Amino acid sequence: MSTGESRFPAATASTLPGHPSEPANLADILERVLDKGIVIAGDIQINLLDIELLTIKLRLLIASVERAREMGINWWESDPSLQSLDPSDEDRGRLERENRELRDRIERLERRLEAGEESGR
Amino acid sequence: MSAPDLLWAYCVLRAGDAGPTDARGIGGEVVARVEQGGLAALVSRVPATEFAHAPLTRNLDDLDWLAQVARAHEAVLDDALARGTIVPLRMCTIFESEQRVSEMLERQGARLAGALDALDGRVEWAVKVLVDPEQLVRAAGPRPEASRAAAGASARGAGAGGAYLRRRRDERAAREAAGGLAADVARRIHARLRDWALDARTRPPQNRALSGHEGEMVLNAAYLVERERTEELRGIVGELGERHRELGARIELTGPWPPYNFVPGGRAASAA
Repeated sequence: MSTGESRFPAATASTLPGHPSEPANLADILERVLDKGIVIAGDIQINLLDIELLTIKLRLLIASVERAREMGINWWESDPSLQSLDPSDEDRGRLERENRELRDRIERLERRLEAGEESGR
Repeated sequence: MSAPDLLWAYCVLRAGDAGPTDARGIGGEVVARVEQGGLAALVSRVPATEFAHAPLTRNLDDLDWLAQVARAHEAVLDDALARGTIVPLRMCTIFESEQRVSEMLERQGARLAGALDALDGRVEWAVKVLVDPEQLVRAAGPRPEASRAAAGASARGAGAGGAYLRRRRDERAAREAAGGLAADVARRIHARLRDWALDARTRPPQNRALSGHEGEMVLNAAYLVERERTEELRGIVGELGERHRELGARIELTGPWPPYNFVPGGRAASAA
């Protein structure tokens, strides 16, 4: 066995260039290992997107997307490279659409109220 | 009586390539090679008590367990990537024996060899753009003092309800302007890098609880880049960062990553 040498020579490949000692953030790793890479059927048949894990995944992803949308930063939604083949995303898409529609209705109502305020004076 | 161990597969490389020699995988187990038809899979033993179907399903919902396994998986890939071209396997590709791994390499040989050829000498880099919302609102919107003054004047004229609605309208306008500016910055940076790189993918922004980032993430993208063009990439990112600094935009570059996002037919092939 190795004597005193690191078992992981040059294993700092995925650290931030400016911060060589900082480990990669968990979000960077999870969004890759859970969702990407070549999919090959092994002997343990498990659909990573189809079990309770889904709740984690949704919790991880949706919170930040909602927050960004509040700022109006949602241009990636129309990016074709984001179109997913994952059927579980369809549900999410539907919920997000409903959410957006509700938000739009509230804004429209507020605008009408504003207009009413102004013309009523 | 204990259940026999299972084999966790990390990635595939060409049998002729060195790969890690002394790497440790999940649970500190030795990483070994299973070779077949010119390809090699890197594998290590994992206990069936944790990685058989039922316990695995439970464990995957435990974020600490998941984080530990994901980091161990990534560490083996990083180590292998530093030595050559690899095809990353998605997490949880598990086999019952070396024989079963060999069979997989034989069955999937053409697809894996094709992916290795496509990814030869190429790595993935991650780019994130983070903005400071307050700085953006200042850069994009009307003076907050001016709108406060207007809101005060109208409050005298139209009562508290009018002031509320006016304030909401001003806030919305400022938010929309800041959002538009942030999207512009993200789009410009992405367009520049996408045109330069071999391939590009965008992903939703990350969750702060996991990533610990400050500000708002307006771009979370991955680019496929030739290994020898790393310095050029650093230069472009540095220059883009300079150009957008006054808006409070920060660009984060991390890598090289195994080319997870660019495995040919990675996702589509699984549906077929």
